[in-house]
Amino acid sequence: MASLPALRLLKRALLADHLVLWLCLVYSAALAPFTPGFASWGNLQTILAYAMPILVVSVGLTLVLIVGGIDLSVTSIVALASVVGGKVMSADEGWLAGHALAVPAGLLAMLSVSAGLGAINGLAVTACRIPPFIATLTTMMLVSGLAIWLTLSRKIGGLPPGFVRLGQELWLAGMTAGVTTWLAHLALSCTLYGKWLYAIGHNARAASVSGVPVARVTFFTYVVSGWFAGLAAILFTAGLETGNPEMARDNLLDVVGAVVIGGTSLYGGRGRVSGTVFGVLFLALVDNSLNLLGLTFYTITMVKGGAILAAALTDALRNRLLTQE
Amino acid sequence: MTSPIASHLGLRVLHQASLLLFAVVLVVFGMLSPAFLQTSNMVNILIQTSSTGILAVGMTFVLLTAGVDLSVGAIMFVAAAVGGKLILGGWAFGGVLAIMLGIGVLFGALNALFITRLAIMAFVVTLATRYFGRGLGLRITETRAMNLPESFYELGAARLLGVPVPVLIFAGVVLLAHLALTRTPFGRQVYAVGTDVEAARKAGINTGAVRFSVYAICGLCAAAAGIVALSQAPAVSPSFGNNREFMAIAAAVLGGTSLFGGRGAVFPGTVLGAVLIQTIENGLNVLNVNPYLYPLITSGVIFVAVLLDAIRSRVLAQANRRRIYTVAQPD
Amino acid sequence: MIEFAHIEKSFFGVNVLKDVSLAVKPGQTVGLVGENGAGKSTLMNILGGNVRADAGEMRLDGQPYAPDSPRDAERAGIAFIHQELNLFSTLSIAENLFIGGFPRSRSWLPFINRRQMLQRTRSLLAEVNLPHAPDTLIERLSAGERQLVEIAKALALDARLIILDEPTTSLTARETERLFAILARLRARGLSLIYISHSLDHVLRLCDQIVVLRDGAVVANEPAVRFAMDRLVSLMVGREITQLFPPRAARPTKEVVLDVRDVAQPGIVRGIAFQLCRGEVLGLSGLMGAGRSELARILFGLDPCAAGDIRLEGESIRHLPASERIERGLAFLTEDRRAEGLCPEASIADNVTLVALPRLLRSWLGWLDRPRVAAEVRRMREAVKLTPTARDGQPVKTLSGGNQQKVVLAKWLLQEPKVFLLDEPTRGIDVGARYEVYRLIRQLAARGTGVLLISSEVEELLGMCDRILVMRGGAIRDTIEPHEFDRERILRAALHHGGLA
Repeated sequence: MASLPALRLLKRALLADHLVLWLCLVYSAALAPFTPGFASWGNLQTILAYAMPILVVSVGLTLVLIVGGIDLSVTSIVALASVVGGKVMSADEGWLAGHALAVPAGLLAMLSVSAGLGAINGLAVTACRIPPFIATLTTMMLVSGLAIWLTLSRKIGGLPPGFVRLGQELWLAGMTAGVTTWLAHLALSCTLYGKWLYAIGHNARAASVSGVPVARVTFFTYVVSGWFAGLAAILFTAGLETGNPEMARDNLLDVVGAVVIGGTSLYGGRGRVSGTVFGVLFLALVDNSLNLLGLTFYTITMVKGGAILAAALTDALRNRLLTQE
Repeated sequence: MTSPIASHLGLRVLHQASLLLFAVVLVVFGMLSPAFLQTSNMVNILIQTSSTGILAVGMTFVLLTAGVDLSVGAIMFVAAAVGGKLILGGWAFGGVLAIMLGIGVLFGALNALFITRLAIMAFVVTLATRYFGRGLGLRITETRAMNLPESFYELGAARLLGVPVPVLIFAGVVLLAHLALTRTPFGRQVYAVGTDVEAARKAGINTGAVRFSVYAICGLCAAAAGIVALSQAPAVSPSFGNNREFMAIAAAVLGGTSLFGGRGAVFPGTVLGAVLIQTIENGLNVLNVNPYLYPLITSGVIFVAVLLDAIRSRVLAQANRRRIYTVAQPD
Repeated sequence: MIEFAHIEKSFFGVNVLKDVSLAVKPGQTVGLVGENGAGKSTLMNILGGNVRADAGEMRLDGQPYAPDSPRDAERAGIAFIHQELNLFSTLSIAENLFIGGFPRSRSWLPFINRRQMLQRTRSLLAEVNLPHAPDTLIERLSAGERQLVEIAKALALDARLIILDEPTTSLTARETERLFAILARLRARGLSLIYISHSLDHVLRLCDQIVVLRDGAVVANEPAVRFAMDRLVSLMVGREITQLFPPRAARPTKEVVLDVRDVAQPGIVRGIAFQLCRGEVLGLSGLMGAGRSELARILFGLDPCAAGDIRLEGESIRHLPASERIERGLAFLTEDRRAEGLCPEASIADNVTLVALPRLLRSWLGWLDRPRVAAEVRRMREAVKLTPTARDGQPVKTLSGGNQQKVVLAKWLLQEPKVFLLDEPTRGIDVGARYEVYRLIRQLAARGTGVLLISSEVEELLGMCDRILVMRGGAIRDTIEPHEFDRERILRAALHHGGLA
């Protein structure tokens, strides 16, 4: 079958390391002439501002997928953390309204709530041995219900300017996202934790026989995933200047899609942070360009749904090609 | 380690957990509010259950094969949106219903294609089609609530021999599903595939066809659930069917269907689970509890159900462990 | 009825069946005996349609017979009852009997004809003497009853030849008697049986004809009356030494490193007590299912231990998790390389360093000392003589079985273990790699590691060990010192014959 040159090229492309980066470039180049305002400095900033918080969530999810799990609750954790931040800091209704320490306390609360929710996921998966997707689906429902109950569906305004600045200055958000992504990348490639993560994802039984503390590492990974969602919540909340119980509700697809498009395997053991960066970038480009082309939110959702299916399909194809060799 | 007798007893309790839960719910709400236990309220609960119940019946088929379908809410929505458009466009009621059901089967078949032919994980495929479906539905309705003519409402308000039509439809679906699962070769093969795909293949079962069918059936049920939901509130809002897949999974799991496949039943299991969830919601309603608390309470109940399922399969695995010697065997 | 003529089969270049010819007549019960790995299962898998022969042919009632799948075999009237039963635990007895083809009430209705199904099940259950209602769920039956359901399933298919693979291992004495009574009745009805078992007394009692396989060849095929237990055992083991073992460099010390005291786990092992010394290679023999691997898993901390004590260098490790036992110097090469020994998709380097990584860090933060990691990988590759053509980053699954096993060994050797549990370390690897494994075991022992070597190959144990324990039914039945090393004695203890236990 691989004798045909076209097929061989396709196979090479499928197995290429930076397939998605090339895809991003080709996509941008192809759409730029037809899309008014696509290739501009201002639009690049828009794309980056959109992509930054999603990237942080996606990096956390990448770790979970590598260890062979899934976390569907990340976007609802973003929503709850956003609400908690608002409840603590808001000048209108915050518990620490006007207090000097409102911002640090707010940040701390957001991060600890999200890490705590990650810990609940981790316990459900490791100690209770509930399949990860159903465990995190349940926490997703519970957590988003909690966010809505806490606010009675209202948005919380009046966030302190010191906090909002985090979202207004693109370089600040960029640095937060960049540093966390870089750290995750280093952890995966240069530390014991990273090696253990891949080993568990490849073969949890073999890892456990080799003395890897499988339950502890898995638990910790869910905590990290929750914590990253909290970090993303800070960026989202500061960017939109409100604590919103429905924040990031429609981004779950972007997050799962970006990670899968980035080449992280749903079966565990394979994936890289760099792939996720490109995956996020790709979906952000798609989102932005379709918006500029005047397509509605719903059409874009449909296209993204198709894109994630295509990515999963590519992943399955890649696996098949890899096992053939 | 637990003795065989103790683990057997534990299993009995685990099997009956939802029944016990149901009794507790009835007693608690009954004591808190006398209105709760009235016949009219009970009938109300059944009517309210019918849509979720039908959805859960379809989900049970999928769960029995150790799969999952997260797209059923979206299927409901697409079917309802298309149906609404057509009926507002002056199509005949019966034809519209047939088309809606057809859309459900089509969607289910699409899921099945990706899951069985291309061997992609069920939850990823159905997560993607869930977004795809929601996007499609919103596009069709142009994100506006669509009010439908009387025909759907009449369907919902009608009674046959004193029984409301939605309940009748629910009962019909349950009867068909129950017969299919317990009395036909296909149904028994669904269980076999869920228990052990490899063994099922060895026994000569066409496992691909069985798995394909369950997703198609699940899609069909989702469309039917959409029709019943429309009959109770004849409007297609942008959030129509949203998060209903979760209720469906919950009803099935509460009714004793295992997420690990091969174990469970539509009747009484899933029906009981669906009624239980609706009863809790109804009871909270009767007691005037803050509606914002509903999702919290239901997801709490579901978490318990899922946890019980995980414990049960662990106990079962331990009970079925291979033994090297038996006590009766001489040394 | 069925005839095998000149069947040949090899796996990975190893000849497992050599020119096997035999016949089973209608109504005859043929016993098939031989040591583990003699080729019994392969032969039966060819008959049952799971594996195809490389050469030779089978004839069924004079017609050529070449099944492509178990279904083909079933259609030809041949039923294979595996040691691991193939029943669906959540379905009823009746449904399990007819899962491949249910009786229908009317051809145009999709419903199962339950009355007919239950009726037929009832009569089938009566034939196998199982007094249960047809709609009893399989999960409610005991192991012996499930065996009878499998036989009923074979009868439901109108099987004329039933292959039974070790049917009595998980049965109680009473259940075994019941099974034999039923087999006798089936035989009287003209059914042919092929009975594979290590329980030689059962084989002698039950069979008309006995075939002895050794190293893939038929060494005896005679009526059962001509055999006595002793002759069977000698025929099974009578094999010349075909393997070379590296010379012993040093004698074991008398210094105890692992002390196992009355370890027991209900239903798995009982009364296990032995001591392993520094530099000693202790063999653990026994048949499959005797509890050897299970004992190793308990010693390593993967499975629970209900009673007794395990001491490593005088300190109790019974309550420690596997990870801490590893830190204290325990190592375990598992029987199932793919499932538990390796991460097949991961690279050679990652697999080799998996256990020792926590010792190759630059700081407490978990930062890897990459130059050291690379150096250690290089050192271990040389130590185990891994194929030099493979790159460090190459996935392990691309290596040959022998090289994969070397990777597993390297992983543990890097840890410099004090006690090494080896479960079938030479299974499925070629002769060259085998020798390499033996050399490494010797080297380890010379450095003072205590080695527990589990093997189904008696030859290997005799060639490598300083002492051999024999297990049967979850207990140690015999301890054999070097001056008493004797193949027959090991096999007798493993088979429960000769009253040594």
